[in-house]
Amino acid sequence: MQLDFVNRELTIKLVYYGPALSGKTTNLQALHKAAEPGASGRLMTLETKDDRTLFFDLLPLTFRGQGGLAVRLKVFTVPGQVIHASTRRLVVQGADGIAFIADSRSNETQHNTESFMDLRENLKQHGLTLKQMPLIIQFNKRDLPDVRSDAEIAELAAKGREPVYLAVATRGIGVVESMIGLLHLTWSALDAEHDLNKKFGFDSAAFLAQVAKKLGNSQPIAQILQACVGGALDVLRPEGCE
Amino acid sequence: MIPPPAAAKSFDELTLGHGVSLEDLIDRDALDEMVKSFHELFAVPLRIFSDEGKLLADTAQQIPLYAFLSSVKAGRTALQDVAGKVKNLELSEAGSASFPCATGENYFVSAIAYDGKNIGRMILGPFISAALSEPPEALLALDSGLDPARLRELFRTIPRAEEDAVVKLARHLGRTLDLLLFSGHRALLTSNMHLASVRESFRELEDKNEKLQTAFDRLKELDRLKSNFLATVSHELRTPLTSIIGYSEMLVEGLAGEMTAEQHEFVQTIRDKGEQLLQLIKGLLDLSKLESGTMSLRKSQADVLSVLRDVAMTVTPAARKKEVEIAVEVENGLPLIWADAERLRQVFLNLTENAIKFTPPSGRVTLSAKLTSVDAAHPEDAGGLVILSARRTAIEFRVADTGIGIPEGERSRVFDAFYQVDSSSTREAGGTGLGLSIVRRLVDGHDGTVRIVDNEPRGTVFIVTIPVKRATIG
Repeated sequence: MQLDFVNRELTIKLVYYGPALSGKTTNLQALHKAAEPGASGRLMTLETKDDRTLFFDLLPLTFRGQGGLAVRLKVFTVPGQVIHASTRRLVVQGADGIAFIADSRSNETQHNTESFMDLRENLKQHGLTLKQMPLIIQFNKRDLPDVRSDAEIAELAAKGREPVYLAVATRGIGVVESMIGLLHLTWSALDAEHDLNKKFGFDSAAFLAQVAKKLGNSQPIAQILQACVGGALDVLRPEGCE
Repeated sequence: MIPPPAAAKSFDELTLGHGVSLEDLIDRDALDEMVKSFHELFAVPLRIFSDEGKLLADTAQQIPLYAFLSSVKAGRTALQDVAGKVKNLELSEAGSASFPCATGENYFVSAIAYDGKNIGRMILGPFISAALSEPPEALLALDSGLDPARLRELFRTIPRAEEDAVVKLARHLGRTLDLLLFSGHRALLTSNMHLASVRESFRELEDKNEKLQTAFDRLKELDRLKSNFLATVSHELRTPLTSIIGYSEMLVEGLAGEMTAEQHEFVQTIRDKGEQLLQLIKGLLDLSKLESGTMSLRKSQADVLSVLRDVAMTVTPAARKKEVEIAVEVENGLPLIWADAERLRQVFLNLTENAIKFTPPSGRVTLSAKLTSVDAAHPEDAGGLVILSARRTAIEFRVADTGIGIPEGERSRVFDAFYQVDSSSTREAGGTGLGLSIVRRLVDGHDGTVRIVDNEPRGTVFIVTIPVKRATIG
């Protein structure tokens, strides 16, 4: 997070992590497509080869909240292939929140696991643990055959801590919900640490609703947040906060 | 570790929108060329300034009227005044403003924004409206030393353009610049990432090399200590013990003359206890090696079936003596596992011997193995259960007996060194209490787990789970 008091600007870094070809870039493309013009900048894709990210993608989103605070979201992806470990470590540095994009297909389960362990290891290198990091998990590619069943994921999700979302990023399904869930967790964590809502007279629920609206989802925010199938959305929130 | 070059901007600075400047993103010469080409096409003079007010590109066209005005003091003052005002013109919310000079020319100023931040400004002008054919009075009255006819003539050479057309030009130029800035930013990030990745990989290798060197030095030292320790223990303890056992054996065999039945029994006990002591010393050696980390597991692809068969074969004589049946049940098509076959054999030998020891005659001890999967989750960091659960393939071994069983409360303690469930001096079964503790350490060394459950209808099952593949990370 970078806070510019003079210009009343807050920059939040969100990272989409996950195994190769799980749909991280597709998530960003769907967000870019869903965003109102003005809210989103150009989607920058660095160095691709055969549709695979070599360095990272970067989608800048800008929203203006109450108190004149401009919130700039910088959404990154990491390269999924195992060999780009050092790039992933560089990109994940300083992340305020992470969306883990898992491939729902049963035969990709092992890759999801390895990527998740890699994430944990990379966070550890930066002196962080998963516990400290706002994190959501998205099971993407729900439209493909041979995917792990809804029931199986729901059962596992109910035991876990992280909110879990189901998505078909190629059709934009579940993408905005995942993003709102992640932003919600991230904002709660940053607010708990830096007391942002109070400092800037900021109403985070209204802000989330505004972000959702600018991303093309006008449902009430409580309803959007309920789209997750497990985990807890309030784990990182401070005591006594709604 | 290579320190980053002093001028290099960090990844955060480059991506999070702070510290990116116009000069970083665009080549000065290219910008100059673009500005000149723009001027050729539209004839409106154009200058581009950085956010700090530095002139980056200029059409560098001498304006004849301005050259003429500069020849007198009042003219120079008026020109400087206009230049200063235009350069620092307050821009509207939309990032632009026009400046009509008292002397008739117009300027249009537009901010150059990138990623929502102003990083410079472009100044278009001077230009005059096509409708204006005569210079205004203010220009003619500027200085009496200037020839009005010459002023009129030069005034007409100033580029003609309407304000709304200039606004459109500025917008077009802004969009073109934005694309150039975007491409420049991407190129900058790409080259930066190349460098950073190389630096990071280098750092990683250096790190690993250092760790390897430290580990290597430590191993050399430990190896030396281990050799000393082993030599001392085997010599100092085992040599006299061998004599004790040897001489007792000779006595038992009657080499020193016939003994009474009672003497025979006593000496036999000395021999048995000596043998037991020897086993204890061997076990202690194993344990100390495991604890100090000097027991190296020589892992390779090991065959589960052959390990279990070998164990069964080894214990068969002892089992027969106790009339305990031994069975091996191994699932077909089990993969090879990444393990030290010799140590694995020791694990199951200890467990099987133990099982036979606590199983009454006509009982049964079964060794079995099947494919299963275990939690890959780390106990220390319990996150990511939904992703981590149920994914590591492992082999589950079971050593089941129909013996006396182990009470629930004792199960976690039987793996402690020297712990005996029945520690009374009258207990039936012998043993050093080291076997299970060695088992547990060896299983740990294989990244596996060992636990105890009840056997139906009676007895105990030791379940050892060992992953098929070595851990990929961590």
